[in-house]
Amino acid sequence: MNEKTRDILGLLARLALGGLFIYSGLVKALSPAEEFGFAIEGYKVLNAELSLWAAYAVPWLELYAGLLLAAGVFTRCNALFIGAALLGFEALLGQAWLRGLPITSCGCFGSGGGNSIGREFAQNLVFLALAWVSWKYGRAWSADRAVETP
Amino acid sequence: MIDRTKARLLALAGIIIFVSTIAVLLARQFNMGPERPAPAFRTFGPGSAPVQIYEYTDFACPACRYAAVKVDEMIKIYGPGLRVSFKHYPLVNIHPWSFHAAAYADCAGEQGKFKEYSELLFENQEKWGTAKVKPGEFEAFAVRLKLDWPKMAACADSPEVLNRLKLDIAEGDMKGVDATPTFFVNGKRAVGAGQLVEQARKFDNILRAAKP
Repeated sequence: MNEKTRDILGLLARLALGGLFIYSGLVKALSPAEEFGFAIEGYKVLNAELSLWAAYAVPWLELYAGLLLAAGVFTRCNALFIGAALLGFEALLGQAWLRGLPITSCGCFGSGGGNSIGREFAQNLVFLALAWVSWKYGRAWSADRAVETP
Repeated sequence: MIDRTKARLLALAGIIIFVSTIAVLLARQFNMGPERPAPAFRTFGPGSAPVQIYEYTDFACPACRYAAVKVDEMIKIYGPGLRVSFKHYPLVNIHPWSFHAAAYADCAGEQGKFKEYSELLFENQEKWGTAKVKPGEFEAFAVRLKLDWPKMAACADSPEVLNRLKLDIAEGDMKGVDATPTFFVNGKRAVGAGQLVEQARKFDNILRAAKP
């Protein structure tokens, strides 16, 4: 794979994953936190109060991380952060799957329905791959590169 | 010390975060978020209606009682051109039984009589609205409408109903609702029946424009 192809792949991965996180964060930030809080509570990892605090914070973090990744600001740090977040989501989904919890809405993209846990788990693996490509090749046409140029 | 490149990136990150935060907060204020659908028993009119009204209401509020009459008139006048969805926004700090009333109305709705139960709540709001102890009217209305009261009582305490009400309230808070009744007519805010009637003047144009 030549450098140009890698750059294009990196850019596409960055825009796809960034866009996805912007959408996911925006949908939840524009809905009542309680809605996402109930979804988090369903995983039976955090109690109601902590779930609500998480529901207040996570949408904004997703939105900021998505925007910064798409724009290519601190690209590698953001790709790492998003990758770590996705691993966290996988852990949550995985434990719910193993425990057979009746999750009706994963909370991933607001209350607008959701896939089965298995499908969400598989989907996140694809997103993790995008995070890796963004981390590895995502600096082309980025703000990082632009400010480095004298 | 931070080098110049990092400083520029930090500044850019700060600008992105600041601008996006303001944009989202404004979008919330201007009601640009997705509208949570109300349960079917609290929704009147076809989904494809060109005029979509969401009403945040409180059964113990006199202005809501007056507005309910106006809304009923509008439903009669505009028919399938109008869809009205009710959201609960009980002002519990001034109406101690509003939240209970909303829960019972939803449970009556699950037995197919939301509208009838709501009308009784509005008509008799001065009897139960400021009661010192839990009003007997909730049960009396259910009996009058031949509803299954034990089932309604259990339903009103169920986590599903309580969560649904809390979500309605949280949604109202997020949209900046602080008085009842507050309407969102095709996304545009109207507070009180007067502003609703004012907006209704444009309904004919909207309905005409929507015709194929």
